[in-house]
Amino acid sequence: MITPIKALRKNRFKTALIFMSMSVSIAAIFLISAISGGVVSMYSAMLKTDGDIIVTQKGIADTFFSDINRSMVDEIVQIEGVREAGALILGAAPVEPLPIVGIYGVSENRFKSYTLTQGSTPKNGEVILGSKIYETLKHPKTIILSKQKFVVSGVFKSRIGFEDGGVVMNLHDGGVLFHKSASIFLVSLDDLAKSDSVVIKINALNPDIEAKTTDSFIDSYNQFKIIKTSSDVIGAMAFLMGILGIVSMMSMVVNDRKTEFGIMRSIGLSSWVIIKKLLAETLIIALVAFSFALALSLGVLELIEHADKFQGYINGEITVSLALNVFVVSVVMAMLGTLLPAIYAARIDPMTLIQRGGA
Amino acid sequence: MRIQAKNIEHYYGIEHVLRGVDISIEAGSFTAIIGESGSGKTTLLSILSTLLNPTSGEVTFDEKAISELGNIDVFRRHNIGFVFQFHYLISYLTLRENIALSALDEATVEPLMESLGIGRLAARYSDEVSGGERQRAAIARALVNRPAVVFADEPTGNLDTKNALGVYELFKRFSQEGTGFVVASHDKKIADYADTIIEMEDGKIVKILKR
Repeated sequence: MITPIKALRKNRFKTALIFMSMSVSIAAIFLISAISGGVVSMYSAMLKTDGDIIVTQKGIADTFFSDINRSMVDEIVQIEGVREAGALILGAAPVEPLPIVGIYGVSENRFKSYTLTQGSTPKNGEVILGSKIYETLKHPKTIILSKQKFVVSGVFKSRIGFEDGGVVMNLHDGGVLFHKSASIFLVSLDDLAKSDSVVIKINALNPDIEAKTTDSFIDSYNQFKIIKTSSDVIGAMAFLMGILGIVSMMSMVVNDRKTEFGIMRSIGLSSWVIIKKLLAETLIIALVAFSFALALSLGVLELIEHADKFQGYINGEITVSLALNVFVVSVVMAMLGTLLPAIYAARIDPMTLIQRGGA
Repeated sequence: MRIQAKNIEHYYGIEHVLRGVDISIEAGSFTAIIGESGSGKTTLLSILSTLLNPTSGEVTFDEKAISELGNIDVFRRHNIGFVFQFHYLISYLTLRENIALSALDEATVEPLMESLGIGRLAARYSDEVSGGERQRAAIARALVNRPAVVFADEPTGNLDTKNALGVYELFKRFSQEGTGFVVASHDKKIADYADTIIEMEDGKIVKILKR
């Protein structure tokens, strides 16, 4: 019985190169998928908190550009089926020494969403800080936002990285800071089954606003589409680079082992036996490379999550589903990358062996 | 099995290497093809062993043309063995694994190794044994499926006289047990062992000597 592991050990250097090529490609696919998925899931989770319906300015490309009149919240809470509605201002500004920080201006009724670990909810001129940014800024008493000084009145803990690395203030201060009334309204319902009818009623209130269920909003949100598309494109490039790496390395391997495959052909082993042998060898490398890339990616994500530089905004997660998908991609990559060199190996003419030694 | 080649012509590009060769080889015979380098013996061996298609002419096995033999890999595995000038053992496999590579029945491997005097080397790798032992392992690989005929191209080219004669003796012994051997060689000593000696010159058979 031919033992692929023996063949791999014999060709250690090239095996190591194929392993590295595959590991890097698989880790790249893992990381880009995990990070982009993490960004989308963090922002989605933030929107879903207390929000069955999201209201934005109509036709805007991003919630950061949305500007709607916060007084409409009072009309929305009057609609039958609405349990609560709150306004939120989404912005970003530098906080020395950090180049950019997420700033959230929230209406009073939304402060309950933040679990304070110390201090109290912010009044005018005050902010509460996510625990991550509080640690990064080394427990500041005050912070400067757009040349205005804010007193840190409390610290909260959030599992959502954007919030845990962000600054929360009351809606009034947020409005002054970003020169707008509100970015979005988050509307929670008594009964989700009534969401469609409530959406219709909210949209009827003002032609300049647009209400959507949170799920529908997330599905159609352009920024998520851009992130997802970018991630898919980069992932596909990593996949192709992986295939190219395998093809080129396996071609060298086949060239080095011409005699071996020529002998196999001369003693009557079929082409399929040779193809299977090479596929088995690459599959073994793929399995090891996948395990290594998974461990490497988990380590890198852990480092990124705790790196002050990223403020907790990059919080990738490798789910079982993602791991399974990448596993399938790894196997396909290994098989596709090996197929051409294997077919070439299976066609090696045993005559080359005779011509090397004969007259 | 009877192998017949009829009016074989072969060209490499414009070089005319075989010129109307007719030959018949019987199972259990020991045929030596001798001649100088470039005489066409290796090309003839390659054509007889189905590794090379002639430019014109026909090779038949028991009156069947190659195209009638079905899957040529399967036919080769069951009916033809090869021994090359270099042993071409796969270096990462033990001698036993090399011999078992194409074996239709693995149980035949160890008795065959014993009969060739390399049974104790089963777990060794090719770089751990002598040149003669390597070539014996290569012969065992060729014989493992008890083929009708074994083709050998300069099988003693890399061996000293003692080991070369040992190889010829093995061929003689197995030919007496029913396996045919067709051996291309420069070595005139092979004449002492072969039943039929075919001498080639400039792509033609110039002499056939039968004992």
